[in-house]
Amino acid sequence: MHISIYRYDPDSGENPRMQDYAIELAPGDRKLLDVLMRLKDVDDSLSFRRSCREGVCGSDGMNINGRNGLACMTSLSALKEPVVLHPLPGFPVIRDLVVDMTQFFAHYHAIKPYLIDDGTPPEREHLQTPEQRERLDGLYECILCACCSAFCPSYWWNPDKFIGPAGLLQAYRFIADSRDTGTVERLAFLDDVYRLYRCRTIMNCTEVCPKGLSPSHAIERIRLELVRASS
Amino acid sequence: MKVFLGQRAWLVQRASALTLLLLVALGAALLLLGPALNHERWHALATSAHGAVIIVLFFAALSLHGWVGARDIVLDYVPSTAARLSVLSIVAAILFAVVIRVALTMAAHLSPVS
Repeated sequence: MHISIYRYDPDSGENPRMQDYAIELAPGDRKLLDVLMRLKDVDDSLSFRRSCREGVCGSDGMNINGRNGLACMTSLSALKEPVVLHPLPGFPVIRDLVVDMTQFFAHYHAIKPYLIDDGTPPEREHLQTPEQRERLDGLYECILCACCSAFCPSYWWNPDKFIGPAGLLQAYRFIADSRDTGTVERLAFLDDVYRLYRCRTIMNCTEVCPKGLSPSHAIERIRLELVRASS
Repeated sequence: MKVFLGQRAWLVQRASALTLLLLVALGAALLLLGPALNHERWHALATSAHGAVIIVLFFAALSLHGWVGARDIVLDYVPSTAARLSVLSIVAAILFAVVIRVALTMAAHLSPVS
């Protein structure tokens, strides 16, 4: 298999370059991450993040043949050669395929990704009806891999001000939660020309999400909640 | 105080788009239903009261829609506040002038009600 990988070492002072690799597939190779881990054995200067190897941790997000995805969930059989790997677009590169996610997680923290409950805490637990619980489906599964935000032109352009699809999906996850009492404060924070309304409904986020979620749908729900709250 | 609002502009953009869609459909229905299209028919439609209202409303909705679009482009591409205000003032003046010009033209050519 032929793979072309973006290489950048800030300590070397050299410009980024593409490095070509040719590697024989082993019988157990199924996913792109399998090949990358074997390449790492050959060239230990190659840097990329990975952890769970099964699409749960969201560490190995990268641009694979022009499309963001998780290396651990990308089947080798579906890839056209040469496989071209870049770091997540729009994110500052630390080294090779490793990007700086500081800004991304700052947005995540800004939306207060936890339940706000101003009432008296229940003796045992917050109860939800099956319908209330169902509203969280398609929201809680986000693993914050950043594939969506890094595929969003609006986020590329305003990464410091636009919350981005991942952060907004997480924001709606708590707005939609029947146990959360902070909806007014959450909506007031999001009602901003940059934080929410830089979204132009391009829908790259929904198209590229490796977990099959729809951040654009969540963004639309936030807008409708804002209309409802202001009427 | 926020200078640039989010929700109001978003609502204006959606409402103006819907208005444009409805007016285009209404205009198309007016033109396609009835006798063959020729200059006399175009002229009669444009100088009738309902034709003039449709045309003025169309340009007003188009200008509002264009305003939100232009504002979005300026917010993305013009970071300096002074430059933003200058560009937005020019855009607003042009769009406002277009609507006034259309309204005055339609009023001047309105056929007298018999």
